[in-house]
Amino acid sequence: MMKRLMLMAVLCLFATVGIRPAFAWQSTAQQLEELEERAFKNAVSQVAPSLVRIETVGGLDQVQNFLLGNGPTTGVIVSADGYVISSSFNFLSKPASILVTTTDGKRLAAKAIANDTVRMLTLLKVEADGLVPARPTAKPSIRVGQWAIAVGRALDANSPNVSVGIVSAVNRVWGKAIQTDAKISPVNYGGALVDVDGSVMGVLVPLSPQDNSPVAGVEWYDSGIGFAIPLADVLATLDRLKQGKDLRSGLAGFNFASTDLYGGDTKIDRVRYDSPMYRAGFKDGDLIVELDGLKVTRPAQIRHVLGSKIEGDKLAIAIKRGEETKQADLALVGELPPFEAGFLGVLPVREKVGSGEGVGVRWVYPDSPAAKIGLKPRDRIVKFRDQSITSAAQLIDQVSRVRPAEKAFVVIRRDRKEQSLEATLGDYPADLPKELPTSAIEAVSEAESKAADEKKAEALEKPRTGRFGEEVADSKNAWWAFVPESYTPAYEYSLLVWLHPPGDTLEAMVYDSWKIEAERRGIILLGLKAANIGSGWQANEAEFVHDTVVSFQKKYSIDAGRIVLHGYDKSGPFVTHLAFKHRDLFRGLLLAAAALSERPPENLPEYRLQFQLICGSKDPAHPILERMANSLRSIKYPANFTSLSDLEHRYPNADGVDAMARWIDSLDRL
Amino acid sequence: MPSAKCKVQDNRWSENSPYRDHEGAASLRPPVGRPLTVAVRLVFCVLSLALLPSVSQAQSTRDTIVAVQPKVVKIFGAGGIKGLAAHGTGFFVSKEGHIVTIWSHVLDADLVGVVLSDGRRFSARVLGAEPQLALAVLKLNGAEGVEFPFFNPDDAVSTGTGTRVLGFSNMFNVAAGDEPVSVVHGVIAAKTIIEARRGVFDSPYSGPVFVVDGVTNNSGAAGGVLTTRDGMLLGMIGLELRNAKSNTWMNYAIPVKDLSSSIQQIISGKFERKKDPNEDEPSLKPRRYKPLDFGFLMVPDVVERTPAFIDSIQIESAAAKVGLKPDDLVLFINDELIQSCRALQDAIGRLESGDQLRLIVRRGNELVTVEMPVPRKKE
Repeated sequence: MMKRLMLMAVLCLFATVGIRPAFAWQSTAQQLEELEERAFKNAVSQVAPSLVRIETVGGLDQVQNFLLGNGPTTGVIVSADGYVISSSFNFLSKPASILVTTTDGKRLAAKAIANDTVRMLTLLKVEADGLVPARPTAKPSIRVGQWAIAVGRALDANSPNVSVGIVSAVNRVWGKAIQTDAKISPVNYGGALVDVDGSVMGVLVPLSPQDNSPVAGVEWYDSGIGFAIPLADVLATLDRLKQGKDLRSGLAGFNFASTDLYGGDTKIDRVRYDSPMYRAGFKDGDLIVELDGLKVTRPAQIRHVLGSKIEGDKLAIAIKRGEETKQADLALVGELPPFEAGFLGVLPVREKVGSGEGVGVRWVYPDSPAAKIGLKPRDRIVKFRDQSITSAAQLIDQVSRVRPAEKAFVVIRRDRKEQSLEATLGDYPADLPKELPTSAIEAVSEAESKAADEKKAEALEKPRTGRFGEEVADSKNAWWAFVPESYTPAYEYSLLVWLHPPGDTLEAMVYDSWKIEAERRGIILLGLKAANIGSGWQANEAEFVHDTVVSFQKKYSIDAGRIVLHGYDKSGPFVTHLAFKHRDLFRGLLLAAAALSERPPENLPEYRLQFQLICGSKDPAHPILERMANSLRSIKYPANFTSLSDLEHRYPNADGVDAMARWIDSLDRL
Repeated sequence: MPSAKCKVQDNRWSENSPYRDHEGAASLRPPVGRPLTVAVRLVFCVLSLALLPSVSQAQSTRDTIVAVQPKVVKIFGAGGIKGLAAHGTGFFVSKEGHIVTIWSHVLDADLVGVVLSDGRRFSARVLGAEPQLALAVLKLNGAEGVEFPFFNPDDAVSTGTGTRVLGFSNMFNVAAGDEPVSVVHGVIAAKTIIEARRGVFDSPYSGPVFVVDGVTNNSGAAGGVLTTRDGMLLGMIGLELRNAKSNTWMNYAIPVKDLSSSIQQIISGKFERKKDPNEDEPSLKPRRYKPLDFGFLMVPDVVERTPAFIDSIQIESAAAKVGLKPDDLVLFINDELIQSCRALQDAIGRLESGDQLRLIVRRGNELVTVEMPVPRKKE
C-alpha cells in the first residue's frame, strides 16, 4: 500500500511538473522568497542581543548648520565586560550624559571612552558583565552581491529595526568601509550590518568619499548608498581605543608632485620635516614603488593603502632614487610637526612673462635675512639651493622648503655679475611693512612687448573695466566688481573677494574705501551678494562663490597666489568656512572685526594660506582677534594682526584700508 | 490538516481568479474535470507541503502584484498649489465601489476624480472621515451594477519585523490613465508608535504604524496599500512625515486592522466620530507642580537642551529625605526620558495629586532610583 502510494506520488509530481510548469516555477520562487525572509528574521534575532539602544541627555541641537535629532540611536557590543562601539554621529551633540539599554531592558550609565576619528566611531563603556559581544564576519568572506541586513534599535524600544539590501562594494572610501544598498540612516547609525548567518560584517556610519566632516554622508541617508566599518577592523584597534586615546589617521609625512590621482606617478614632492619618512632618510623626489608588499605606480593606489591606516600602524615602503632602491618599515604617526616655511625677506618683481632667467627683487624687507646679506631691489635671484630659478612661484616653493634658521645659498646677478651668498632664513614677520612701494605696473614693459600679440587677440573683446555688476542666471545671487581702469592683461592682479555681512551689501562703502588702493596696487574687487541679503550667507552658497571666483580668474589676469577672501563682522563664519573648504583657491583670509569661527586645519605646504585680522582698538573683539593671530602663528601660519586706534566695532577706516592693501600687496613675499 | 491547507489555497485562487489575467488563472487553478482520486489529492497536498515547508500562502510576489493592482485607484482632487500634490491613492474595500484613502487636502473638493487601473474614470464623494485615524472613505458615483475587485478590511493582518512587503501607490502621479499604480518593495523595518502630541511628529495621526525600509511614502503615495509579498493586506500608506527624533523622512503605513471597524461603520452609515481626547484640554496646560514642591531646584535653563542637573536641595524636604543630591542628573521621570530642563519642568508639571514621582538620576556612573509621593495641592 505504502509503495503504491509513493509511486503515485512520484507520478503525480511528474504530472504536475509536466503539465503545469508555471506552478513548478511558482513554487520555487515562492519557496525561495519564504526561505530568504526567514533567513532575514533569523539573522536579526541572532544579532539582537549584541545591539544596545543609546539615549543621550542635554547637548547641542545643531552642528555646522545641521539640525541634530535627539532620538535614540544604536550601538554594538564588542566585549562581554561592557565595551560598546557606535557611530560618532550619535554623539555630535556632545551630550551631558549617555545611557545604554541592553536587549533585556537593563538601563546602564555609559561613558564615552575614545573616538576613532578616521572611521567615525566612538567607544562607550558601561559597568556590566555577561554581555553578548557581536560575532564578526571574516573580512575576506564578504562578497559583493550577498545579502546585507542593517539592524538598529532606534525606532522601537522592544525590538530592532531592520532594512534589507546587499553588499554593494567592499573597500570603499579609501579602503575604510563596506558599501550597502540597505537603507542606512540615523535610525541605524551605530548599529550592525549583518550577514544572513547573524554575524556582523560592519558597524553602520555616515561617510563620504569627498568630505571627512562629522556630518558628511548624512545627506545620503536612505538613498541606497550606505556604509559600514568592518567589525574585524574595529576589533583590531579596540585595545588602542580602550586606552582612552582618540585614534587619528596614520601619517607617513609626504605628498605627491602630481595632483592627478589616477594618471600621475608616485614621485614625492616633499618629505615633511621630522616625519616618519624624514627620519627613515627619504627625500624630496624619491619615487614610491611598493607599499605593504603591493607594487604601486599611481597616487590613488597609495591612497587606498593609507586610507584605512591608523596612527601606530606599520607601513612597509620601498622607493627608487635614480638607480638606487631603498626600503623601510615606518611606524605611522597621528600628527606631524606643523609645516613651517622659511622667510628670506623679498618681494619678487611681478613678471607675467618672465625672462626665464631668475626673478627680480622688487623690495627687500628691512632687517630680514635678505637685507642681512645685502640684497637690493633690481638684483636678480638666479639660483636658490642649486636650483635655477625661472619664476616667482618656483622661488616661493623653493624657499618654503627651507626651515627657519636653516641656511641656504642664493645666487644673484647684480650688474651682470653673479654672486653666491649664504642666507640664514627667518620667520614670517607678524607686522606689515610700514611703507610698501607699489609694484610699478610699467615695470613689466619689457614683457609687454611679448604680451602685445596676446593683447591684439583679446582686443576684440577687451574685458570690462571700472565698476559693473551682474545678476546670476538661475540663481538668486548677484555680484558687483571693480576692475582698475588701467587694467592690462600683461600684469597679474590681486583679487579681493568681498562677502558682505547679513542685512546690507555695503557695496557703495566698500567701493569708496577701496577704489584708490585698488587702482594703485593692482587689486580687482569682486563683491558677491547672498541670495537672501537680509539673512546672509548659507552654507550651500559656497559653490556660487567658488564658481564666480573661478570665472573671474578665467576672464582677467589674476595671480593665483593673491586671491583673498574678505569678510566683516557677521560674514566671518561663512568666509572662514569657505577659506578652509577651498584651500586650493584662496591664498589669503582677511577678517575685519570678525573672528575665525572654525579651528584652522593643519598648515600644509601645498596650500599656502596667510591671514590678516584687523579691528579697532575700541572693538570689544580686539583682544580675541589679537589672541587668535598669536595662536595662528603658533601653528606656523603667517598671520598679521592690525589694530586701528580709536576705532569702534565698525568697518576699517582709511588707515585700515591702507594696511589691508599693503598686506594684499605683499602676499607673494618669500 | 494538510487538506485544510489545500483548501485555503483553492479558495484563494477562486476568489482572486476573476481579476487575474486569464492565462495565469487557468494555469494556477487545479485542473477541472481531471479525475483525481481523494488519495492522489491527499498525496498532492503532502507533496506540496514537503516542497514548501510551512508555507501558508501560495502566492508569489508576481501573483500578488497582479492581484492587488486592480484594487488600487488613483485619486485626483484639490491641491496643485504651494507644493501640495493634487493627486493621491486609494483602494477598494467593497465590490460596490467604496474606497479607503488618507484624510488629506486632496479631498477638499466637492467631488474627487477616481481613475481605475484599467483607465475607467469615476467621480466620488467623501462618505465619511475619521481625521484622528487619517481615514476617509469615498463612494464612487454612477457605479451601480458594476463590481469592483476589493480588499476586505477585516482580513487585514499584522506581521513582524523583517517581513517582505510591497507598497502600491500613485507616487508622484507617475501612473497615467490606464496604467496601474507603481509597486515598491522592502521589508517591515519596525513596528512602532507615532505620537503626534509631543511635537516629535507633525502628524494628526497618533498610533501604531508599520515602518518600511523602502521609500513608500512619496508625494501622492498616501492612501496606497502595503501588503505582504503573498498579498495579505497590512496597512494604508500614510502622509509624508518627518521624524524629529532622527531628522529623517519616515516610510510607514497605518495598520488597516486598526481602521477596519471605523471603515465598516462609515460604510454602514452607523459611524459616530470619536471624541478627540485632547479636544477638551486646553492646548497650553498649566504646570501644576514644580520641582520646588518636592524640595529641589534645577540649574538655570540657559540653552535649548540644558541637561536636567539638580542645583540644590532644601533641608528636610521630600527630596532630601529620599537622598537626592546637588549635581544629580535627572534622566527619567516615571519612565519618561528627560533630555532637558524644559522636559523636566513639563513632566513634573503634568503630575497629579496622588501620583507617585519616580526619578532615576545619574550620580557619577551610577543610576539611582528614588520615589516620592506627589503632595496634595490646594486649588
